[in-house]
Amino acid sequence: MSLTDGAPADPVLVEIVAGTLAAIEKEVETSIGRTSRSPMIRDAHDFRAGIHDRQLRKLTGRSYSALVHPVVRDHPVATMHPGDVFFHNDVYLSEGGIGHLPDLCVTVPVFADVDGVPTVVAFVQAFGHHDDIGGAVPGSMPSAATSVFEEGLMVPPIKLWDRGVRNEAALAIMTRNSRMPDSLAADLDAECSACLAGARRLGELFDRYGVAAVEACFDAVLANSTEVYRREILSQIPDGTYVWEDYAEHDGVDPPMLHRQRITLTMDSSRETPLVIDFTGTGPQAKGPINHCGDYADGNFLKKWLAPILRNLAATPERMAELDVNEGVVPLIEMRFPEKGTLLTPVFPAPTNARTFVILRLLGVLAGVLAKATGGRMPADQETIRYTGVYGTDSDGTPYLMREVLGGGSGGRWYADGEDTIHVVPDSRNLPTEFTESRFPLRVERLGLALDSGGPGRYRGGCGYEKHVRVLRDAHFMSIADRSILSCWGVNGGRAGRPFQVTVDPGGPDEHDVDALADAEPLPAGTVVRIRTTGGGGWGDPLERPVEEVLRDVAWRKVSVTGAREDYGMVLRSDGTCDEAATDALRAERRSARSGDEPFFDRGPGYALLSGGATSNEFDVL
Amino acid sequence: MAGGRRVRIGIDTGGTFTDVVAVDEDTGATTTTKTPSTPADPAEGFLAGVRKVLDLMGLDGGAVTAVSHGTTVATNQLLEGRLDRIGFITTEGYESVLEIARQSVPDGYGNSYFWVKPPRIVPADLVRTVGGRLDPTGAEVRPFRREDAVAAARFFRDAGVTTIGVCLLHSYADDAHERAVLDVLHGEHPDAVVSISSQVLREYREYERSVTTLVDAAVKPRVAAYVRGIRERLDALAPGVPFHVMKSNGGVLSAEEVVHQPITTMLSGPAAGALGAALVAGHAGFDRVLTCDGGGTSTDVTVVVDGEPALTTEGSVGAYPSKVPMVDVVTVGAGGGSIAWLSPEGTLKVGPRSAGADPGPLCYASGGTEPTVTDAHVVLGRIPPHLLGGEIPLSADAARAGLTSLGERLGLSLERTALGILEISAWNQANALRQVTVARGLDVRDFTLTTFGGSGSLLACRLMDVLGLPRTLVPPDPGNLSAFGLLTVDVRNDHVQTAISRHADLDLDRVRAAFAALEDRARASLDGEGFARDVQVVQRTADLRYVGQAFEVRVPVADGELDAAAADDVAAAFHAAHRQLYGYDLRDDPRQAVEWVNLRVTGIGPIRRPDLVTLPARSGGPERAVTGTRPVLFDEDWAPTPTYDRTLLAPGDVVRGPAVVEEFGSTVPLHPGFAATVDASGNLLIERAAR
Repeated sequence: MSLTDGAPADPVLVEIVAGTLAAIEKEVETSIGRTSRSPMIRDAHDFRAGIHDRQLRKLTGRSYSALVHPVVRDHPVATMHPGDVFFHNDVYLSEGGIGHLPDLCVTVPVFADVDGVPTVVAFVQAFGHHDDIGGAVPGSMPSAATSVFEEGLMVPPIKLWDRGVRNEAALAIMTRNSRMPDSLAADLDAECSACLAGARRLGELFDRYGVAAVEACFDAVLANSTEVYRREILSQIPDGTYVWEDYAEHDGVDPPMLHRQRITLTMDSSRETPLVIDFTGTGPQAKGPINHCGDYADGNFLKKWLAPILRNLAATPERMAELDVNEGVVPLIEMRFPEKGTLLTPVFPAPTNARTFVILRLLGVLAGVLAKATGGRMPADQETIRYTGVYGTDSDGTPYLMREVLGGGSGGRWYADGEDTIHVVPDSRNLPTEFTESRFPLRVERLGLALDSGGPGRYRGGCGYEKHVRVLRDAHFMSIADRSILSCWGVNGGRAGRPFQVTVDPGGPDEHDVDALADAEPLPAGTVVRIRTTGGGGWGDPLERPVEEVLRDVAWRKVSVTGAREDYGMVLRSDGTCDEAATDALRAERRSARSGDEPFFDRGPGYALLSGGATSNEFDVL
Repeated sequence: MAGGRRVRIGIDTGGTFTDVVAVDEDTGATTTTKTPSTPADPAEGFLAGVRKVLDLMGLDGGAVTAVSHGTTVATNQLLEGRLDRIGFITTEGYESVLEIARQSVPDGYGNSYFWVKPPRIVPADLVRTVGGRLDPTGAEVRPFRREDAVAAARFFRDAGVTTIGVCLLHSYADDAHERAVLDVLHGEHPDAVVSISSQVLREYREYERSVTTLVDAAVKPRVAAYVRGIRERLDALAPGVPFHVMKSNGGVLSAEEVVHQPITTMLSGPAAGALGAALVAGHAGFDRVLTCDGGGTSTDVTVVVDGEPALTTEGSVGAYPSKVPMVDVVTVGAGGGSIAWLSPEGTLKVGPRSAGADPGPLCYASGGTEPTVTDAHVVLGRIPPHLLGGEIPLSADAARAGLTSLGERLGLSLERTALGILEISAWNQANALRQVTVARGLDVRDFTLTTFGGSGSLLACRLMDVLGLPRTLVPPDPGNLSAFGLLTVDVRNDHVQTAISRHADLDLDRVRAAFAALEDRARASLDGEGFARDVQVVQRTADLRYVGQAFEVRVPVADGELDAAAADDVAAAFHAAHRQLYGYDLRDDPRQAVEWVNLRVTGIGPIRRPDLVTLPARSGGPERAVTGTRPVLFDEDWAPTPTYDRTLLAPGDVVRGPAVVEEFGSTVPLHPGFAATVDASGNLLIERAAR
């Protein structure tokens, strides 16, 4: 479907329109980033803007965004007026565009003159992760929630501004239900004003060039994108059917277990829609909050959420970075969902606040199934989001919460090692120690790399963090993290990285590990808590890693001397040089000890703990 | 030789040309020239430029009262990655601070899977740590471990590493541990060139301060050698003449001082252009100005409000963040050499890749193979078929052939292709200009565009249309404005101290003491520059934020005793500035505490600015400047279009579009519907023509 029935677009105007859409998206995000007050928006950059056409197709392509579908479902376009602003955060009424309640979404219709009548021609939308929208715990992300009612206030699509007039009653209800009413109001203001300004800007573009000419460009932008993905990306996937699965390890309620997510990917280049992604086989809905509402609007949200992974099939990293993910990818993908009642098809009111575990894992499941399809031409696994925090009261008796989103190592690639301590969300930043220590009664004794955490491989996985935080007053530690038992997998002979681990009083008399889902681990004054985040998976056989690269890793304190021997079969002399004869012998011995039918994926030692002893499953082989 | 003439000389060394401006100290008259840059030894081009301008004026070195210089030596060294091996000493437990950086991946969602981190400025094996720890107030938590510093110094000495940066945690609050490291290095490794963070930047955030310090150390040897080389040769020509180097903060500093803080010279060329444009536009009566400096590769954009170019401490040079204050120059990859190409998606793109000066556009006929923006201008007749007043002929045929071939792949005629390239280039620039203002909470339509540089004015009329700008000002001799700008700036030095405190708990004695210490440093350095105390200007500012915010807003702190009322004024100014920048403030919310973060003092040694010369009146109208006509395509059809020699225009002349105004090194195409008025100083003021 297109806006203009194939009317030819002016090739110059296409570039102007595409450039202006990208500029408006950036202006809206700049404006929100600078005027919001929630740390999750301001520092962790957990917010997104998007521009959609009147057929609800996403035109901009730097990041995922929510959907306009629920807004027009409840408020037909014919009833909209200039100055209207719509709001929603209700997961189950969002058509799959909103994953958890703290993501507050604002939608503004764009009007242009069609035959003398102001007509809706596009939408500017933004959502951001706000500090608190009520519910059982501060931050609205209760890790042991068993229903969405514990997770905060649900607002279905409503008209928050009517022809330029704010609905003060609705705002009063929302702020009354938040523990942080002021920042909630400020964040909403920031989103509304930014989207309204963006809508005015886009309206000017329609006014200047006319609706038909601009819409022809929208069609061209999306059609170009479809064509590029078909030609440069899907062409890399051999026709056939490929199956793989991976797991979340806990849901906050049940004991740790394998929460299965499976993709059966079928590539048929003769079909108009060549790629079928079938989630059948995905495990049952979890009692805890890791469910994701995926089976709405034909999986429209998930198609655009997962498509960035496809970019890894482009020819070079530079080309991968150039590719936009807009609605142009949607016609290439068909999604098939299992029956209601699975992790991806939860039934209201199943809780969803930690759905990040599942949708991040889905990125990896798609990467894995594509690795199977392409003989390994995909990066190994990464896990680069988790929430860790320390809270208590400072010397004035004022409560504080130091919450941080810490990244991890990325997976090895067929062309490069994984990178250390990075984060999947663009521009998300860690907290400088000099900020943390001036603001909270804490001392960050160490901010380094977790030695040997990167999965061994021809291309090593990146290292995770090793962070030592000493509390100067009695405090509590909290953590919401996956991948503490299961590892980031290695592929094509590469080995798994080390998992997430939190240890209290490391090396001291009270040394003990803390569960990765922890709400309130007590930390007496003076105690150190050590946080190690995940290393990325390795890519390719570690015994093939050149000696000089392992030596550099040792010199750069990313691999220990023991690790060099155990993981890479490399023997170092006491002066730090490589004993090449001994290395050759050890590597030969390691190679000859192999059976030859090792699985294509290495899931690390934690898998056997949850699988009943098996170290791999039937899908892990080529 | 004309007796008693005295001149000040500004020299801006660019990638291709070294621009020279000499101003007569008595009459304000300027003489300009250009010489080829000499990248192998930039000092050669510098001296050649000085001699050339003196020859033009018939003067010798004795007439020179001062020389101001904008240089890209430090910037180029960084951008080209020509860094020596550098060592880094930091606090125990933080040996990976450079590897970790801020964990952020640039740009799009999901890029973390394929992004390859650029190399760090110091490889991890050249990082050494020392024990000892301060807290945010500067109080010692654990004593300095001297033996660690000794071991580090010996390690670097034995490894032959002679450039070293030192950044210890919380050294912005107290520099004792860093000075102790410096003492050890002096003793153990006397050959080392060292930068310590407490001397480069006393501001919190350890990663950014570390990199800033390391960049300073990295460029120190080369900048010092360069500046000393010029000093020596200048002494042979004009012994002891004051020699100033432009800084990125919009001031100059003596060469003797600048070698100790070389990082402050980063991006000094663009800063000079912005200052020159601000001065000219201010003199013409415009206080809100967007400066647009168009070169071959890129266009530099700056916001000027009330004559002051916006400053930032969030800048970067290449891949390296630099937290020292710098004029906030946004560089857009759109210049005369920007290449027009077809993307794999099949759309027409312009830039950011550039043909630069070598091989240059097709019309240079010197080996270029891809069509550029300049080629499109040539094809449409918007620029003359030669450059620099005829010194460099251009091949219109080569341009036409290249654009024809590009157009065939798009199904566009030659003319539509050329117009399309220029339209896309104009929109790229327009979107960047708007982003610059949106990011500051400003409305682009309130600004006067000031265009200069070789390609800055070519699209001025289109930018006015796309952005809804009221007017464009084109200063005289726009190709030399950066060199002129060098002569308009004061000696300027910045000092900062992080001192975090809630406004309600502000210890005024402590703040006063910190300001006093900063002022002492500022005045001492101005003393060293030869400024008497009574002419020194000291400006105080402070960075404030609402508690919980991760960014600050800088506001002025009034002169005089900083009492409780004055501190409240600062907080009030913060609320107002916050509203201006971000659209809201929390002035009336008692739960929202205001926090002081950084105290800053800028020491200024004023220099005499050149007087802007009034352009002499001439008889007759603008017809006197008409040099001929040539066919030019602006919108739809080719039309015979008059060309004007700008040097023959006089105040009050009005040139109506379509027209092309030409001068040495710059061209202003005036589209139909626009008119340019010549003001008393010779500026062209382009506005929409009254219909």
